[in-house]
Amino acid sequence: MPLVNYATREITCKIVYYGPGRSGKTTNLHYIYEQVPSARRGKMVSLATQTDRTLFFDFLPLDLGSISGFATRFQLYTVPGQVYYQATRRLVLQGADGVVFVADSQARQLEENIESMQDLHANLAEHGMDVRATPLVIQYNKQDLPRELILGADVLDEALNFRDVPAFTADALHGHGVFETLRGISEQVLRRLSGGAPGGARQRSRDTVGSV
Amino acid sequence: MRARVSEPWVEAPLQRFADESRVTFALLLQPSGQVLGQFGFTRAMDVMAACSLAAAINVTAAQLGRELEGTPFRELHHAGRERELFIAEAPTERGPLVLLAAFGGESSLGIVRLYFRELCTALASAARTSVPAPAETGRVDLGENLERDLNRSLAILFGRARPDSEGMLSVPPSFPPA
Repeated sequence: MPLVNYATREITCKIVYYGPGRSGKTTNLHYIYEQVPSARRGKMVSLATQTDRTLFFDFLPLDLGSISGFATRFQLYTVPGQVYYQATRRLVLQGADGVVFVADSQARQLEENIESMQDLHANLAEHGMDVRATPLVIQYNKQDLPRELILGADVLDEALNFRDVPAFTADALHGHGVFETLRGISEQVLRRLSGGAPGGARQRSRDTVGSV
Repeated sequence: MRARVSEPWVEAPLQRFADESRVTFALLLQPSGQVLGQFGFTRAMDVMAACSLAAAINVTAAQLGRELEGTPFRELHHAGRERELFIAEAPTERGPLVLLAAFGGESSLGIVRLYFRELCTALASAARTSVPAPAETGRVDLGENLERDLNRSLAILFGRARPDSEGMLSVPPSFPPA
């Protein structure tokens, strides 16, 4: 559960960006970092290799401002996507209040997306977290690539979104869909904290595809 | 200087540890990186970054210990030129907590370790006797305005809305996207 300080009326939530290697998790955080005024965010911490592949995690603290009278802060984490960092992903996932699954829309990456989603479910279960109750949104990234290289949101939904969670199409490199995805997971996490169901009806921000 | 905490039961133990050991900074956090209390920091964002790194160090050191010696490393010490770091895990009935302490010439590793033992005892006792905070037992009523407040906060954060002259927020009609 998010950390709530009633005395100072503060809420702190941990959000983890999950997904296969090179799907755009770090790119999401970079875009958010660049867009948000420095007074409302901390330093972006990246524990990466020399070639900028995430080694342990990226971390970005965000000050959302006041939500229903509570000063609300989000801790955004990414996990390393490569298969052999399974143990690290499990560690970073510990205590997560919400998960953004960043899928790579390229057709040739479909298997990696499915394996990563299965890996996410296994790691959530390992932490004793109820997969069905954990706030989750899916982002179909790289929708700006040529049509012949990528899969449409409907096909990706069919393969990955069997929980019928909110899904967003995106081009994180240029920022399309990044904001909507963050908004989606924020609402899920805060609704769950407030006692509502995290899942909600499926929604997809199609206009981000149109604008790419 | 006063310790700031998110759960009242850790306040007295943390304050006493900071006062007695004369550390410059101290952080008490959950192994997942969520802060429970801090001493010496002035900016909340710095606290969160330090927590994420301390949690990572703690968990990787524990795993390294398991690989090398079959048991996790529970304490780590780094001696810098002007500042030293001490990271250790404190078991409580509410789960383990992690302490990150930074100290300079006014303290020493021996003093910090000595008062860390006291901190462990005090936290264990407080975890047993104190009443859990509401957040540990229930949910938070964020009211009917949750969605409106969230939209406005995020819109301002991303530069898509500005407070007007009366302090009210102007959100473009196209926000959020349909």
